[in-house]
Amino acid sequence: MALELPLPRLQRWMQSVVVHPGSTRQAVASSEARAELAPEALVQVILPARQLEPIERVGIYHGMYLLRMEEALATDYPALKHFLGDGAFLELVRAYVQAHPSVSYTLNRLGDHLPDFVRDAPGLPRPGFCHDLARLEQAVSQVFDAPETPVLDAAQVASVPAHAWEGARLRPIEAFRLLALRYPVNDYVQSLRDDDHNHPKPRQKANWVAIYRCNYSVYRLALSRAAYDLLTDLAAGRPLGEAVSAALHRTGRRAPGEAELNLWFRKWVAEGLFQSVTTTA
Amino acid sequence: MTRIFPDLPKTATNRWGFPDLGVGVGLRSVHFPHILSQWPKVDWFEVLSENYLDTGGRPLYVLDRVAERYPVALHGVSLGIGNTDPLNRDYLGKLKGLADRVRAHWVSDHLCWTGILGRNTHDLLPMPYTEEALRHTSARVRQVSELLERPLVIENPSSYVEFVASSMPEWEFLARLAEVADCGLLLDVNNVYVSSFNHGFDPRVYIDAIPAQRVVQYHLAGHTHKGSHIIDTHSDHAIPEVWELYRRAWQRTGPVATLYEWDENVPAFEVVHAEALKALAQREALELVGAAHGA
Repeated sequence: MALELPLPRLQRWMQSVVVHPGSTRQAVASSEARAELAPEALVQVILPARQLEPIERVGIYHGMYLLRMEEALATDYPALKHFLGDGAFLELVRAYVQAHPSVSYTLNRLGDHLPDFVRDAPGLPRPGFCHDLARLEQAVSQVFDAPETPVLDAAQVASVPAHAWEGARLRPIEAFRLLALRYPVNDYVQSLRDDDHNHPKPRQKANWVAIYRCNYSVYRLALSRAAYDLLTDLAAGRPLGEAVSAALHRTGRRAPGEAELNLWFRKWVAEGLFQSVTTTA
Repeated sequence: MTRIFPDLPKTATNRWGFPDLGVGVGLRSVHFPHILSQWPKVDWFEVLSENYLDTGGRPLYVLDRVAERYPVALHGVSLGIGNTDPLNRDYLGKLKGLADRVRAHWVSDHLCWTGILGRNTHDLLPMPYTEEALRHTSARVRQVSELLERPLVIENPSSYVEFVASSMPEWEFLARLAEVADCGLLLDVNNVYVSSFNHGFDPRVYIDAIPAQRVVQYHLAGHTHKGSHIIDTHSDHAIPEVWELYRRAWQRTGPVATLYEWDENVPAFEVVHAEALKALAQREALELVGAAHGA
């Protein structure tokens, strides 16, 4: 006998089964599914096939859900998957999509909460390292998809009068992120890219990275602490004179010399890190 | 744009006069370097809408270059035309913007639902083929067509369950939907075959029941046979039975834009294109037969 559930109820039931983290039988028997359809009534809703029972047919959708989520997150977080291994990564995904299911039309947003999730996930090995690794991979994805903005070119730089540089503000391109990291995850990612199996150990080691896009390719630039601080100041809109002065007057090994600063700026402009320069007068 | 095969008939037989774009392939990122360096002789590209909606990076750059040189149609997977949640107007606004940007010949998505209560399963979940579902879906297709300012084109899905409550077969639902909602159809011949195996119907009956004048595009693809059922994986060459169904359908619709989909274990561009070009050989053979019989 057919049981015709109203369409909203049928969809609530089927979704609760499809996204359930357990087996299909557990999914059908879950409280969420039961709220819409008693497990024993499944045969009144889904027809059997020649070789498959109704629960096996629903199980096809249920089985594909987690694999699809895993594939999407592995695309954005390949180094994290490599570090954890296939099995642990799948279990991470299983837990993550229960806490943060997709609410977007695009899977590109699925991993938005993953860095924070791995930091707090119980039982995850080296959560600090995983957190940094996920932050780095997230920044790479964000830079990959960021809007394209104009790039400050040499002619624009040359057109700024020398006296105006003191109060000038440099605006980074949209496809630009800065990260201060506690673990050597940039080196880890690079070792994967280089197919170098001598990966850095997940021990604490402060490091700083700029992630940016140039000619539609994403780059990771290792920075000194001083360069990171300077770029952070500039990105926050601090006038160039103030930012450079702060960098020059920092004490200890972090203080760059003028020659070093010149080299940095040449490289940063050449790599297209800035989109504009504005002067006060 | 120079068609590779300019002698192919371009007469539009569908209700809206959408052109027969020839034989195309799906635009996939693994092929970007090949496309940008070779500008291969392809009649047209189908673009997965969602991959280009929220990016200002390389994918959009490549798409713009492709759309300058080739005809393009948009194909989506997240419209959720059968969802019982309200339509996502943010998504539809961006979709229209993308369609305008690349001068898409048409915009298609699937007869399915994708999620409810604000969630997206990113799957093409099956509809029950009931009068309630038909009313619901028809109203939404009309709304979407109005918002997009172009007729929506709906594709038949592959499915793995059938609902006891369905009161009509999928082909009847699709035909009635197209009529009531005044939409176009994207006939995925592989999906017909997959569902026919999974549900035990004659795929020829399905093909013969589709209103030919509403078909504006064909999809062809490979699948994965699991023994007890078939999964629509787009991971292989199309099997002979699918080509046979394509020929059968083509005899009813005449020249209609055809596209080969390959989404898993995607091989080199030339391999995908060669598979697509098999459709051309089928079409040419049918035209020769037709000509010999004075058709």
